[in-house]
Amino acid sequence: MTQHLPILAIITLFIGAFIVALIKEKNEVLRNTVVLIATFMSFIFTLMMYKPIIGEGNIITYWMGNWEPVQNWAIGIGLEVDQLSLFFGLFISLSIVLSALYSFKYIEKETGKDKYYVLFLMMSASVMGFIFTGDLFNMYVMIEIMTFASVALTAFRNNKPEAVEAGFKYIAIGSIGSSLILLATVIIYAQFHTLNLAQIAGELHNNYTITTLFALALMVVGYAVKVFAVPTHFVAPDAYMTAPSSISMLFSGIVNKAAVYGILRVLYVVYQSMNLPSVQFMLIFWGTVTMFIGVTMALAQHDFKRLLAFHSISQIGYVITGIGLATALGITGGLYHALNHTLFKGLLFLCAGAVYYATGTTDLDKLGGLAKRMPQTALIFIIGAFSISGIPPFNGFVSKWIIYQASYEAGYAPVTIIALIVSVMTLASFIKVAQSAFFGQLPKEFKNVEEVPLSMRVPMWIMAILCIVGGIFPSSFTKYLITPAANAVMNSAKYVEVMMGPEFASKFYNNLGNAPVIDYKLAGYWQPIAWLILFGILLLAFTLVALLGGFNPKHFSYSDEEDAKYDVFYSGESAEFSHVGGSDLFWGLKYQFRHYFDLMHKIHNGVVNDYALSVVLTAAVVLLYVFTFVR
Amino acid sequence: MLLMNYITCIILIVLGLYTIVTKKNAMKIVIGMGLLDYGINLLLISVGFKAGGTAPIFTISELDRTSFFVDPVPQALTLTSIVIGACVTALALALVIMINKHYGTLDTDKVRRLKG
Amino acid sequence: MSNKNVKVKEYIIKSAADFFAPIGLILGIYIILHGHLSPGGGFQGGVIVASAAVLIYLGYGYETATNTLKPNLLKKSEAIGALMYSFFALLGIFYAANFCRNVFYNVGNPGDLFSSGTIFLMNFAVGYKVLTGVGFLILLMFGLLANKEA
Repeated sequence: MTQHLPILAIITLFIGAFIVALIKEKNEVLRNTVVLIATFMSFIFTLMMYKPIIGEGNIITYWMGNWEPVQNWAIGIGLEVDQLSLFFGLFISLSIVLSALYSFKYIEKETGKDKYYVLFLMMSASVMGFIFTGDLFNMYVMIEIMTFASVALTAFRNNKPEAVEAGFKYIAIGSIGSSLILLATVIIYAQFHTLNLAQIAGELHNNYTITTLFALALMVVGYAVKVFAVPTHFVAPDAYMTAPSSISMLFSGIVNKAAVYGILRVLYVVYQSMNLPSVQFMLIFWGTVTMFIGVTMALAQHDFKRLLAFHSISQIGYVITGIGLATALGITGGLYHALNHTLFKGLLFLCAGAVYYATGTTDLDKLGGLAKRMPQTALIFIIGAFSISGIPPFNGFVSKWIIYQASYEAGYAPVTIIALIVSVMTLASFIKVAQSAFFGQLPKEFKNVEEVPLSMRVPMWIMAILCIVGGIFPSSFTKYLITPAANAVMNSAKYVEVMMGPEFASKFYNNLGNAPVIDYKLAGYWQPIAWLILFGILLLAFTLVALLGGFNPKHFSYSDEEDAKYDVFYSGESAEFSHVGGSDLFWGLKYQFRHYFDLMHKIHNGVVNDYALSVVLTAAVVLLYVFTFVR
Repeated sequence: MLLMNYITCIILIVLGLYTIVTKKNAMKIVIGMGLLDYGINLLLISVGFKAGGTAPIFTISELDRTSFFVDPVPQALTLTSIVIGACVTALALALVIMINKHYGTLDTDKVRRLKG
Repeated sequence: MSNKNVKVKEYIIKSAADFFAPIGLILGIYIILHGHLSPGGGFQGGVIVASAAVLIYLGYGYETATNTLKPNLLKKSEAIGALMYSFFALLGIFYAANFCRNVFYNVGNPGDLFSSGTIFLMNFAVGYKVLTGVGFLILLMFGLLANKEA
């Protein structure tokens, strides 16, 4: 029975999708029951794999149709679930269940609900298939189904022009990404005449040619498009913003995570290239740029969901940086942050959905004072906001702290500093959201809004509680979930050995079976003292700069301003005439860095051709980098 | 002869990317996506080709000791890829029709309410 | 549509559609059924069958095509085809083997139509799904165009 669990976890979702397609649109009870049963069964099947895989340290392999390897040559499609796959599978299947539960009430008023659930289940199933597969082409097929379903769900509210526009942009950019992945798959197939990940990993072990490096570069760019790393991220805010919130949650929670998994699988296990400093530097640089640009763009937003989308990009930057460090601590931090990001970003998107459900808008300029009418949503939002900004008793703090420490230990001190600054900016922009959506004055038209129904609050509360638990008991989370996954990431030889047999693996690997010992220096990981000292030093530094006249307003010339509201930032003389919009809390900062923000607005210009150009340019730059520096 | 295939598929891929990047008409972008797909499909089918090989069908009577098959796996992969490509094109075309309905134009310079 | 030339053109297309639609149907079904013996299979045959839908649309117009083919029925049939495939694939698990395993494969002589166990049935399920799915897709696209003209 155990070996059938991965395929059952995938196929229940697919069967659920097909059954939903048969049910009449009006028959809501039956449809919701089928959706709930399918997602819940998938979750249970994934949970049942916990004991054999993480508890006992086995790896489940499964050959479709019993087509086992012949003479050390994989001829069938294989599934392989190791600790890394299961780690991703667990929180992905959990968030699918929660999203389904949330959807029932949330999209009640929409039409075309049957199509929504078919696509919802297709997307979930394809992500589960992507996580559990052991076949390169299968990965492509699954990620393509995923993109397809995501695009259709982005355009779900197709009576809105924005949704259709975002869908078209998403499919144009997404199909370039998929094409790059397919091209890389073809090139690898042409080299090794196999598609099995384990067999390719064996053949590729310390055996790079210029052709395989070409495939590596294309594949990394392809998955970077799916993960929305920075120069390819332009469609992400559009898609996250226009999709229904339960789907935005899945975009950031499972679609993004699937691509993170793809990068991990390709770079660590298939190519085993992460011991090369050049590849490490590429990922760290990429991740740092991603987190910085994501958060600065988020500061300038005035739509709730669009702001969250930019934060999602920024947080994925942390994950990429963490896994790019290639130390045990770095991988632990990256994986932990991936888990936490699913929880708190899902929570925040659900909060945005609750606000939309209650008021019909997510525009921060129109909202305000909702905490009075929706106290539970406000409380949940604050838990999520504190988690994402890395405030101590919540889970974001732990994973961010591990990443700071890992990047500092690995000798990337500037990355640590940028990560800290990004974290502060994250907090700043969530203060803005809290201030303009949940606190302040309640607009007249929202006098009668009510708290969202229970079936929407339950998933939010579950995620909020998990956020707190992850922050209070970080050591048990790492011990029972993340350390086994990080071990699996580092131990490519075992992956090959279990899938293709010891005879095949011993051809390529010398030290078979004994995993590299990972040295977890988690010492400074839960020491608020260190945090306090850092805070003190920063405060001291700012005081010093202020005393030396660094912030003296006399240095700035602002007399030629056309808009009086900027005067307020320095002296406050014309305060009575200036009006700052609810979402414009940081107008001073935005004004100071106006050249940067103007440039960013120019880059995010909404023309799909330019977005495609940036993807192509990214591919070109990565290709050049890989050919020049990776040996 | 096979070299010709490879050259053609590279031309198709580059042409597809060029079309997506430069053409301002949404319809032409869909065509570019198609070209990109066809280029990769051509590469995929060329990878499995072996000069002198026969079709990979189990027909004992027509085989002798010297005959061998071309690689059947890329053919299956190409078929899958064509199916996916067709689906993507269909969805993209549906979205193009919807864009035309909402915006009254297919010019990508004008279809940009989401920006910044 | 009042132009006389159009009417004559439609007549020619109608005759051609009358002639080619049955051929397409028969060829497609043949290819679906012989998927395990000869090149082709469920997908290829399904697409050929679905091309008959295009011919009916070209010959008789959108109204007739939807009345004959009933898009809603096609949509449901597609899901049924997918479920059939899942069922036959799951048979492998019920018969103590792996998913997608071919069971009952000892029936008949190699080369016969019924000689390959569930592979034949899976092929048929795929063909059924594709012919209904692609047919539905084609009708949907034409429907969008037809609405725009009206």
